Amino acid sequence: MIPPTPHIAVADLRVGWGSRVLMEHVNFEVERGTTFAILGGSGCGKSTLLRHLIGLERPQAGRIEIDGVGEPHRYAGAPHFGVLFQSGALFSSLTLEENLLLPLTTWTSVRGATALELARAKLDLVGLGPFAEHLPGEISGGMRKRAGIARALMLEPNLLFFDEPSAGLDPITAVELDQLIVTLSRDFGITIVIVTHELPSIFLVVKDCIVLDKAAKGIVARGDPRTLRDQSTIPFVHSFFTRSSPAHSKRQGV
Amino acid sequence: MSVEIRIERHTNNGRVSPVGAFDLLHAGAVERAVEDAEPRLDGCESIDIDLAHLERIDGSGAALLARFFDRLDAAGRHPRLVEAGNPEAERLIAVYRRSRADRMPAATPRSGLLARIGQTAAEFPATVNSALDFMGRCVIAVPRAIAMPRSVDWRSLPKLLQEIGADALPVACAANLAVGVIIGFIGVSQLGRFGAVAYVPELVVVAHFRELGPLVTAIVVAGRSGAGLASEIATMQVSEEIDALRSMGFDPVRWLVVPRCLALVTVVPLLTWLGDMLALGGGLLATTAITAMPPRAYVLATMDAITPAHFFLGLVKSPFLALVIGVVACGQGLATRGGAAAVGARTTTAVVLAIFSVIVISAVFTSFYAALGL
Repeated sequence: MIPPTPHIAVADLRVGWGSRVLMEHVNFEVERGTTFAILGGSGCGKSTLLRHLIGLERPQAGRIEIDGVGEPHRYAGAPHFGVLFQSGALFSSLTLEENLLLPLTTWTSVRGATALELARAKLDLVGLGPFAEHLPGEISGGMRKRAGIARALMLEPNLLFFDEPSAGLDPITAVELDQLIVTLSRDFGITIVIVTHELPSIFLVVKDCIVLDKAAKGIVARGDPRTLRDQSTIPFVHSFFTRSSPAHSKRQGV
Repeated sequence: MSVEIRIERHTNNGRVSPVGAFDLLHAGAVERAVEDAEPRLDGCESIDIDLAHLERIDGSGAALLARFFDRLDAAGRHPRLVEAGNPEAERLIAVYRRSRADRMPAATPRSGLLARIGQTAAEFPATVNSALDFMGRCVIAVPRAIAMPRSVDWRSLPKLLQEIGADALPVACAANLAVGVIIGFIGVSQLGRFGAVAYVPELVVVAHFRELGPLVTAIVVAGRSGAGLASEIATMQVSEEIDALRSMGFDPVRWLVVPRCLALVTVVPLLTWLGDMLALGGGLLATTAITAMPPRAYVLATMDAITPAHFFLGLVKSPFLALVIGVVACGQGLATRGGAAAVGARTTTAVVLAIFSVIVISAVFTSFYAALGL
């Protein structure tokens, strides 16, 4: 039996600027319909790896395939994935509704009342229906992130990337956002890739992850975050999941 | 792939069967099918919905069907899903129907044009008040900056002098040279009719030294550096850098506005003086090019025309014009609220206001000189 093609395949990736190598020999695959996380400490290159995955940066070496298609072909037409940037990245001169209509009217033939209906439905989905005519500057940071998710969903992608979705949010808003991510994965079957270091979010939504380490310049662990927390013998990974200092982990014999 | 909604009716009961691909690609066809189906269900008291014939469904198709079922529900037609039809479609439609049910109370609608005009008029006194407040803070900042030199970012001064002065040199000189050429041509064409070409050098000196030199240089600086200063401070404002300064006990007016205004007040008179020299050259080029006046005669006539009054009355204006550019640009930058669009809007306002203020102040000086007989 032929195994199913992974949704994302990264092979022997090297990332860096000029002669500076941030990470190398990065290999991993993301299965369809899973919620996958890229974890690691500050400055280890999580967001940089995400920027490579979505095609904003070119790798120094290696290959990234989404749906079996390599990087050069990814922006040939309408993108097949959605991205939520850290700040929501909404266009501040457009209302939420107009922000959502932008990809729809650019990449599809849907116009008029149908387009408005779809935009309103997505805003309702993230709980922002009544704020359709507000400008991004008139709503809170958590709402901007939810609107960013609604915009990312407009072209019905089967893959979503989230860059630090819970960063800067209060615990209740962060949990609501996590639950929205769970809904998108469970009910819509969307493959989700999250860059984060928020442990509560990781344990709530993530089933598979890689852990990046700045010192190792690459992946140091791969698997279910709960399993890594309970069983990993790598001091950095143990420290990361238990919020203890690496020195403490070494003293504990991990 | 065709998209349709099949309807079967048995007296007061109906059966709705969406058929085909209900996805984003066919969203227009789905919407038309829904619009076509709704009137055909008039009078039904209960409707069975069979999703088994859906060939494909995604979030967009589910959203449009969810809205359709919501409307049937609102009309009292009691739509009911047929069991085991299509679990995936049922799940997606349920997500969209639930999200609509979770709707929060409606927000205040956006105000219309007339209301916005009224709001702007009502806010005008507060705008004037905040402008006067900012000017007052600028005035107070000067003695405080002298008393507490460490409260001013002096390290930025060389860079500001470079950006506002040296970097603006080519465009300021080119503009003044061009104005000198224009005055020369106009002088020759108008004074030449009376055989008074010999007075063209004096016209260039008087017009440019007293009025046009400071004005042209200030307008160039307002457009170039005014926009730069306003957008820089506006960006700092929206990225909370100004708040960070305040939280650390710095006065943004002293830390940011004082060095920028000082740089402008230092550099603009120098640019004006250089511009004056270039304008004399422009007048010389124009006059000698189209008349028989030799360059040496033009230079001698120019030297006779330059008096300390002409020279200094123009240069005295320059620091004031520079100051108004700095205060307007920095004031607009600090007043920015919102995101990237607000930065652009404030920058535009800063440039327009700075150029307008420069012209008004120049006119005030001219009137003042005329009243004093200077």
